Amino acid sequence: MNRRRFLKQVALYSGGLSLSLPLLRVPECLALNESVPEVARVTGSDYGALVRQTVDLLGSMSRFVKPGDKVVVKPNIGWDRKPEQGANTHPQVVSALVEMALEAGAKEVMIFDYTCNEKRRCYNNSGMTEAIKSIGSKQAKLVHIDQRKFVPVEIARGRSLKQWDIYKDALTADTYINVPVAKHHGLSRLSLGLKNSMGVIGGRRGALHHDLGQNLADLATVISPRLTIIDATRILTDNGPQGGSLKDVKVLDTLIGSVDPVAADAVATTLFGLKPEDIAATVAAHQMGLGQIDPARMNLLSGSG
Amino acid sequence: MGQASSKSVYRGWRKGRVAAQLLFFLLFVFLFVKTDYTGSDTIEYAVNILFRIDPLLALATMLAVKTVITLMLPALLVVLLSLVAGRSFCGWICPLGGLLDGWRRLFGAAGTQSASRFPSLPKILLVFILVSALFGVPLAGYLDPFSILVRGLSQAVYPGVNEVSVSFFTFTYQHLPETVNRITEPFYAFLQHTVLPFEQKFYQFGLLSLLVLLLVIAAEYVQNRFFCRNICPLGALLGWFSRVGVLAPAGGDEDCRACRRCAQICRMGAIDEQRKIDEAACVLCLDCFEQCPRQIISFQAKVPLSRGAGISLSRRRFLAAASASLVLPSVLGVRTLNVQADPLLIRPPGALAEQEFLNRCVRCGQCMQVCITNGLQPVMLRAGIEGMFTPYLVARTGYCEFNCTLCGQVCPTGAINVLDMARKHTFKIGHAWFDKNRCLPYAKAIPCIVCEEHCPTPEKAIKFRNVEVLGEQGARRQVRQPYVDDALCIGCGICETKCPLPDHSAIFITSAGEHRHPDSRLPAVQEPFLYGG
Repeated sequence: MNRRRFLKQVALYSGGLSLSLPLLRVPECLALNESVPEVARVTGSDYGALVRQTVDLLGSMSRFVKPGDKVVVKPNIGWDRKPEQGANTHPQVVSALVEMALEAGAKEVMIFDYTCNEKRRCYNNSGMTEAIKSIGSKQAKLVHIDQRKFVPVEIARGRSLKQWDIYKDALTADTYINVPVAKHHGLSRLSLGLKNSMGVIGGRRGALHHDLGQNLADLATVISPRLTIIDATRILTDNGPQGGSLKDVKVLDTLIGSVDPVAADAVATTLFGLKPEDIAATVAAHQMGLGQIDPARMNLLSGSG
Repeated sequence: MGQASSKSVYRGWRKGRVAAQLLFFLLFVFLFVKTDYTGSDTIEYAVNILFRIDPLLALATMLAVKTVITLMLPALLVVLLSLVAGRSFCGWICPLGGLLDGWRRLFGAAGTQSASRFPSLPKILLVFILVSALFGVPLAGYLDPFSILVRGLSQAVYPGVNEVSVSFFTFTYQHLPETVNRITEPFYAFLQHTVLPFEQKFYQFGLLSLLVLLLVIAAEYVQNRFFCRNICPLGALLGWFSRVGVLAPAGGDEDCRACRRCAQICRMGAIDEQRKIDEAACVLCLDCFEQCPRQIISFQAKVPLSRGAGISLSRRRFLAAASASLVLPSVLGVRTLNVQADPLLIRPPGALAEQEFLNRCVRCGQCMQVCITNGLQPVMLRAGIEGMFTPYLVARTGYCEFNCTLCGQVCPTGAINVLDMARKHTFKIGHAWFDKNRCLPYAKAIPCIVCEEHCPTPEKAIKFRNVEVLGEQGARRQVRQPYVDDALCIGCGICETKCPLPDHSAIFITSAGEHRHPDSRLPAVQEPFLYGG
């Protein structure tokens, strides 16, 4: 295998991916911008019940997961922090989603994140290892990122990014469910659903910070979750994205769910006392026709668990 | 006793010895592979036990620091073993000895040469090492067999094997059809779960550590157990215990006539022309017991402290070795690094003050092997020639993980203290500095917060000032420029590791402010204080 052949194969492969996935999504996305998306906002202290109620308000899991599907549940497990520190998605929220996906007939549910701290420490300290193990199903797979699986993907609609390495499993899953945690971030102000996509991309991720909002919106054109559940059971109000002090953690016991990734981020932003327009990525994604930013043009469904 | 029956007895014993060597080597490999983060903040077991039972390292280290190091007291077990059963440690237990014997068996090697090339050298080296240690020049780690073995394996062989595996399975994964992958992928997963390291590691000077180990192995082609009989100072020490101990192997006698079989086959050259066995060299491999046509070689008890056969180091040589080792400290004492230590010499968290750290560190490389970010690297000359192979943090390669205390836990000598989590979180190993000529918000008015984002202290040690700057076209722009909060920075180096600049990081760690040296305290910033006018 020489370099030329290798590069050619990689190019063909990624070309195939970028042709098949994003192009199909374009009409849908544009439609999202026009339509009035449903956004569920539920509060309750039993996180398992909370997840069920949120998903049920949006239909049911069978709307998103078909029997035999390969599902990816993508939490934020980026940091070597404990659940109560609010830096990672709460493990009970993740395990409840995984269980529901399995009940809906998923053949396999993969859970992963490209961590910032040492990967094993992040998975363990976040409580994720334990939570996924306690599901007791071999179809629920918490896996570490495998560097071999990053494929260069062309971002045809990207305004700032034209190509980036993206994790294959995130692209080829039948259903991709995004489960970020809502938290403070020094540059983007908040880290929400769009920001969580950085956990499925490779390359020098730090370099994306130079025009982060647009870059995240560009990534959202190729990484398209079918469902976004934002974990606001605990929010980090300062010293994000990894926190560490409980002083910065606010317990809200809230989840926000939507099929519209922009709308979910927009509503989550209001939990911090900010306006959706304050977050550059939300604005950029809305401008690209990826979803609704105006809460007045959303169908807000609320409940309490 | 009939000849036939006694022969079978010795054959059984010899086989037992080979089995023991194999077993101990496998145990060693098991512990070696286990020297890694296993999901718990505390490590269960690690190969460091090998260094804690090593009497040479124990003696040299305790002489150097002039205290009893409790961690290394298990070495008394090996001393006891040698007093009772001679150098059986070398013949039955030592993993390097086992590797060399196994290598000869598997790959063949030069025929046995009965007389050792440099029979006195190990003793001279032993004296040199111990006297040097006493005067504060730690050298034991350079020649200790375990240090050589573990360093070579952990910094070159093990990562090398992984590199080859990753390349191979990346090729099969990316270029071979699904049918092949159905076999190769589970096999790769199996290897990863059992023997391969979790992550690919990279080491400076891994080649040098490998070279030392390869030299030891290559010397087998000159003479059996070349290292063990001509160099190993641990062997010399155990030999001394053996000599003053109670076991005396009894060799052949006049009735053997011309037969010199025992001397010819001895892997240690321990049997002389008169078929006397030097108990300071004999490793109890039992080859001669089995092969002696007369079956007359046996063990006897002797009065402790009585001298058996073998040559002891002459007084002249002893004094020469001892006085030679006095020259080094005086010369080493006048180097510039005694005036100003290398500012990039960032020691692991919990490391003792430099001189005591060097005195205790046995260059086993355990801390580097267990470092989960690959940040700890062997020093070459940054800490002086007596500091080679000691660990330091190269923050561009890897940082000190906030919640990790493994390096202190595996250190066999206490050169790196075990820190509890609360102490680790505030333990300062260095300090971060911005290079404002390169840092994007300063140099190019480009917003960037990657260092701040990764900064692990609960209240971030990297903070921002909102500053209005002139952009390239002269337009005014608001930029958040980062700065380091001196009171909070612990020097973990994650900022340097993650800085998105492609070459030099725009933020870097120096040893300034490190807790182990009170005199390296940063200038205190009190109210109206102008540092440097």
